[in-house]
Amino acid sequence: MILRSIAVQGWRCFANPVSVGPFTDGLNVLHAPNATGKSTLFEALLRGLLDGYRVTGRDVETLRPWGRELAPTVTVEFSHGGADYRMTKRFLDHPAAELERGENGSFVRMAEGEAADEKIRGILTRNPPGRGLSRPENWGLAQVLWAPQGDLALGKLSGDLVADIRTALGVQVSGPGSGPLEERIETAYLRFFTAGGQYRRGKDAPAVVRLRESLQAALEAQRAAGEQQRAFEEAARRVEDLRARRAQARRDAEALTKSLRDARARVEAYRELISNKAQRVERVKAAEAQHRELKQRIDAIKTAAKELGDVRLDLTQLRSELPSWVREVEQREKEAARTQTALEDVRKTRDANEATRQRAELAGRYLDELRRASALGDRLRRIAEASEALVQHKLERSRLVAPDAKTLRAIRKAMKDRDDARMRLDAALITLEIVPQKAGAVIVVSGEQPGEFSLSAGIPAQVKGSPEVVVDLPGIARLRARGPTGSIAEIRAEREKAAQKLKALTEAFGSADLEILDALQDKATELDQRVAAAQTESDTLLAGETVEQIETERATLAAAISRTIADYPDWRDAPPDAAGLKAAAEASKRAFLAALDTAEAARDAAQAALNDASQQRGTVEVRIEETDRRERSLAATLAELTNDGKSEGDRGSEMRRVALAWEAARAGLEEIEAKLAEFGDDPGATATTLEKQLQAADDTATKALEQEKREEGRLSHVSAQGPYSALARAEEEVARLNREITGEELQMAAIRLLRTTVEQSRNAALAAIAAPVEAAATRTLQRIAGNRLGRVQLGEAFEPTQMTPGIADAPVSIESMSGGEREQIYLATRLALADVLAKGERQLVVLDDVLVATDSGRFARVMRILEEAAQRLQLLILTCHPERYRGLEGARFFDLEVILRDSAAA
Amino acid sequence: MKFLHTADWQIGMRAAHVGAAGPRVREERLIAARRVIDAARSAGAEFVVVCGDTFEDNGVDRVLVQKVADILDASGRPVYVTPGNHDPLMPGSVWEHPAWRSSDNLHVLREETPIKVSDGTLFPCPAREQHSGKDPTAWIPAGDSRGIRVGLAHGTVEGVYQEEPDYPIPRNAAVRAGLDYLAIGHWHSTATYPATDGTVRMAYSGTHETTKFGERDSGNALIVEIAGAGAAPVITPVRTGGLTWSVIEEELRQPGDLARLRQRAEALENPSATLLDLRVAGLLSAQDRDELARIEEILASRFLFGRIDSARLRPSPSDDSWIAGLPAGALREAAANLRELADPAYAGQRPEGASPEVACRALLELYALASESAA
Repeated sequence: MILRSIAVQGWRCFANPVSVGPFTDGLNVLHAPNATGKSTLFEALLRGLLDGYRVTGRDVETLRPWGRELAPTVTVEFSHGGADYRMTKRFLDHPAAELERGENGSFVRMAEGEAADEKIRGILTRNPPGRGLSRPENWGLAQVLWAPQGDLALGKLSGDLVADIRTALGVQVSGPGSGPLEERIETAYLRFFTAGGQYRRGKDAPAVVRLRESLQAALEAQRAAGEQQRAFEEAARRVEDLRARRAQARRDAEALTKSLRDARARVEAYRELISNKAQRVERVKAAEAQHRELKQRIDAIKTAAKELGDVRLDLTQLRSELPSWVREVEQREKEAARTQTALEDVRKTRDANEATRQRAELAGRYLDELRRASALGDRLRRIAEASEALVQHKLERSRLVAPDAKTLRAIRKAMKDRDDARMRLDAALITLEIVPQKAGAVIVVSGEQPGEFSLSAGIPAQVKGSPEVVVDLPGIARLRARGPTGSIAEIRAEREKAAQKLKALTEAFGSADLEILDALQDKATELDQRVAAAQTESDTLLAGETVEQIETERATLAAAISRTIADYPDWRDAPPDAAGLKAAAEASKRAFLAALDTAEAARDAAQAALNDASQQRGTVEVRIEETDRRERSLAATLAELTNDGKSEGDRGSEMRRVALAWEAARAGLEEIEAKLAEFGDDPGATATTLEKQLQAADDTATKALEQEKREEGRLSHVSAQGPYSALARAEEEVARLNREITGEELQMAAIRLLRTTVEQSRNAALAAIAAPVEAAATRTLQRIAGNRLGRVQLGEAFEPTQMTPGIADAPVSIESMSGGEREQIYLATRLALADVLAKGERQLVVLDDVLVATDSGRFARVMRILEEAAQRLQLLILTCHPERYRGLEGARFFDLEVILRDSAAA
Repeated sequence: MKFLHTADWQIGMRAAHVGAAGPRVREERLIAARRVIDAARSAGAEFVVVCGDTFEDNGVDRVLVQKVADILDASGRPVYVTPGNHDPLMPGSVWEHPAWRSSDNLHVLREETPIKVSDGTLFPCPAREQHSGKDPTAWIPAGDSRGIRVGLAHGTVEGVYQEEPDYPIPRNAAVRAGLDYLAIGHWHSTATYPATDGTVRMAYSGTHETTKFGERDSGNALIVEIAGAGAAPVITPVRTGGLTWSVIEEELRQPGDLARLRQRAEALENPSATLLDLRVAGLLSAQDRDELARIEEILASRFLFGRIDSARLRPSPSDDSWIAGLPAGALREAAANLRELADPAYAGQRPEGASPEVACRALLELYALASESAA
């Protein structure tokens, strides 16, 4: 629709009639200071078109001007669908509504009352209010196109408007008839779930909740029944075990009773055997004692008789041996004496043997002394030769005058000093060089060498002198040459000093020639070396001794030799064979020692044999004495043993009789012991053990029986409850509930999937629908604010929900934007939606005091966008800042203050 | 000699697989027991042998023990009962109940001891524990008695697959022990074992009342007649079961298949004594979607127990007419997405919990809601 004009009276601050218009199809700016009534006119526009004229209530009462009894009345002229309309509504007092249509240049009544309301609502909205005032969701297109004062934000749009937008965008999210079916799906879903997807609770909870509760109870009952059944089975097993245990105990007791009976019989037999055994043992002991006594006597007699015989035999034997031992001792004594004598003989050869050894040693020593004396003589001769060579070399060296190395270095230095002084003198002298062309003579008048000297043709000659050189060329000229004066005298003195020193140094050597001096020094060095060598040889030969000491030693040796020769004069001419003498002496010594050992061994053996023989003789003598005593003792004992008056035969008979009796007693005992051995351990202990075991078995059986009875009682109690039947019932109930739950869950899952799938399909379609609006809003916003804010994203009902700035990873909510940015986003969205909605017809867009937070730069860009929008839309801007909109091209400005004043004047 | 051979009454058994029908199923086992006794009377059986597992467990309600004793005693003829592996002879067992000592007709055979009967001998093989790898018939002496020799045992005949031997009974146990007939229990299907000469001397009577779905040839007792020692037994099965356990498996291939399945279920006789297990798979067309709910209603209302397993149903790929009828936009898009998710071969990413079964069910829910919305 296009708004042409609006007139109000009796409406809030407009007590008198006021009319604003006509508005242009493009930009219109209605301006006035605050509290003048701009927004009141906007309100009148909304109520005049959308509210029922009969509406009552406190909100409507506030429309009436304060303190006046006026009926609020509004008249709106507009165009829609190519026709012009005029809607007049009067509220509160005599409420009325009248719709007129422009026909042939004037308005003709079209409808009135409720019909007028319905007609106009049919034009503007598909979702009119039922009773009372209209709310934004009843505004139809105006929800998007008309922005109330300071509120550019878009709320959730009504379903019809969203549908209109979708239709306008040409995409069917939900086709005709889909609403009821979707509602049914939603109803079906909400039968089970909350809007948030949770199970409903309380009395509205789905059956599955109750079923699950029942299932929990049934499972608990099943568990309890299962426990009861297990208890029954375990009790049965326990009873069975106890029965088995009791039966086993009973069998054990029976077996033990029999064993005990047997054991007791064995005990009786055992005890009787023990008693018999004791008697038998006594008998055996008595027989044994008698037998032993008799045997001992017989044995003692036999032994005594035998020993007596043996002793007497020994005595005879010993007495016969004694003379032999006496003789033996005598022989041994002689042998000992003989070997002692032989030993003494051998010992006597010891001195001769020693003399031989000493002679051999003396011969050796004599030969050594001869050799040493000869060596000393040779040494003394060589020492004498070395001393003579030393003296000779020293003499020769003393005759040679030669500079030593130090002197030679001093001479070299003196020579250098002299030559240096000479060179400096030459340099300091004035030199006159004459190159004669023909032979002649010159006379040096003043110069180093005054006098005349000859000149040869072509041979240069120099004359030197200081401080001048004066030369006469006879018949030709006197030449005088002068130069700078200097210390020529000092140089000359230095030269002389150096020459004197050199002379002093070399004078002793007879030559100042350096080569000669070097040769002298070399010769001196050679002589020094010879002296040193001769000295070394002499010292070596002396070896630290003096010649006198050596000669003394040689004299001592000569004396010793002389003494030896005095003893052995034949050694003077024929020196002894020391080695042969030494070998002979050693052979003699070995022979002596061997003979000595042999003699000593023989002597020792003879002495030992003598000792043995003496000891044996003594022993025999002692034994004879002892045997003699023994023979008397045994004779007495035998006499005592045989004084019973029995013969040997009598004693033998008695002995056989006693032995038989003893043997019989022992056989009887062995028989009893064999029987006892068959018992093994003491059968009494076995019987005692068996008695205890029997008692234990009886106790076990008794206890098992008691336990069995108790368990049977429990088992009877449990089985009487029919645990299996209870379990079967519980399991059936669980199975039934599970089946029902499965069915319910399947249905719920199906409903949930159905709803989710529909929702996803709708969202996918909506996303496709919203895309062009989002793109248009984004383009507009970017023209206002640049690219920083990114892309506008719309919600299901086309409300801006979030932005996706390029620099952010995730979308940003609108609420996080600044106030200015938010109103720019909403403006861009409203204009984008208005474009969608205006495709069929130019539409009125009302902006009531919006863009209050937008800065001037962006506001200027908004102006250009509004100018462009005005090509497709009618824009009505209500503002208290008209100057901000003065730049709008083609805008018509309405000053409400002026209008009010004019109205009042009219 | 003529007697009735029965076993595996499993009185007091749990029936978790049939939900709320469990108590009724248990009660039916007692009713069937009375039919067994009636059959014995009708057939003129001289005595009755119950070869084990009379009770499901030794822990069953004692009142059941008394009821069973009363039923057996009502036969008016000797009844020889051997404990089985479910009710073995052990402390606290059902066999300690005084009911078994209340009548001269009732004989609980507790020992491996020959029992003289009219013209022969019974050789009982009572079980004393739940599991045993021992041949229970091994003790029976071969041919040391005169007259007809009948063994009573509980175990598994050779040839039945077992992970571990469970009271194994040799295939030739009857011949080996010189028995004219070996009455056995343990397996619930009626089965006979011919000897090499073709004579049947060994048989499972099977349970007297079926215990579960898929149990083959159960719900019988056997009337056994033996003319004399060495004569071939004449074995006549007698139907004693009162419940019908039906399993119907159906592969849906075209529209209307589910409706035909419903009609088939509705045509079943005596639904109040029938337990029905419908297992449907295949493709579910749009027009059959209502049938699922209808079948569930019928199963719940008419049958003793009924269930339909539709987990393997998938929306028919060629049937998207109803989806085309959905409002354009999100709903139609969602339906298309659910169709994809309902396909087990769907290779895309599945949202959490969006199994083919759930997606299929979600499609059904959408179909139902869309139908309600259109109505």
